[in-house]
Amino acid sequence: MAGRWGTGYNFWMPSVVPSLRVKVLFFGRLRELTGLAEEAGELPAGATLAQVFERYAERFPKLAGFRNSMVVSRNQEFAAWDTRISAGDEIAFLPPVSGG
Amino acid sequence: MTTSIQEDKFDLVREVIDPEALVGHVRAGQDGAIVTFDGFVRNESHGRETSYLEYEAYESMALGKMKEIAAQIHEKYAIHRVVIVHRLGRLEIGETSVFIAVSAPHRGAAFDACRSAIDTLKRTVPIWKKEYFADGAVWADGELPPTPPSAKSAS
Repeated sequence: MAGRWGTGYNFWMPSVVPSLRVKVLFFGRLRELTGLAEEAGELPAGATLAQVFERYAERFPKLAGFRNSMVVSRNQEFAAWDTRISAGDEIAFLPPVSGG
Repeated sequence: MTTSIQEDKFDLVREVIDPEALVGHVRAGQDGAIVTFDGFVRNESHGRETSYLEYEAYESMALGKMKEIAAQIHEKYAIHRVVIVHRLGRLEIGETSVFIAVSAPHRGAAFDACRSAIDTLKRTVPIWKKEYFADGAVWADGELPPTPPSAKSAS
């Protein structure tokens, strides 16, 4: 949203979208595929969980194929893909569960 | 009859599960029944001979979800205590991967609650199983946990 109005000097609104630090986790086949169990991510404020996923899918193209057979959690609760992230969130990408 | 979740026990372990000790944890004078579920490693999967399994978990979330299951069955059934323990790491054929025990004054509630606990665990607890065969390994198919439909309708 920052910079939407484009003209004029607006000193309290930074011209760059601020970013948030979050922790991102991968499990099971998704961890194997990315080679990442956990990393600190820097993401634009206002991003949704779907957008966080898209970012990783750009970096690891094979991830994209799993979008419909996985779920996402935010702070250890299953979350809708359109949930917006907050600073300090713990975001995890989870394949279908198979405990028991 | 129904007691608090504080007397329950939840654990993720890397060593052999001892069912007897866990049954002892839920057994008390006020109870008349204990129902247990012992899930253990089968020697085949879809007709292929299994060598061993490896389990991994999102541990903090898995423990949270196990507690939620206990809270749900306490709410729904007249039960006393609940134990839910899942093992992680490498498991050999015949070894217990999950053990659930539920005590209650009467058997009906214990049966229903134990069944509900394992069924819910298999759908909602973030644990994953990889099956190793003589000629390779695959992640078990698993189930997609239910998720909230949209953040807009969530509170």
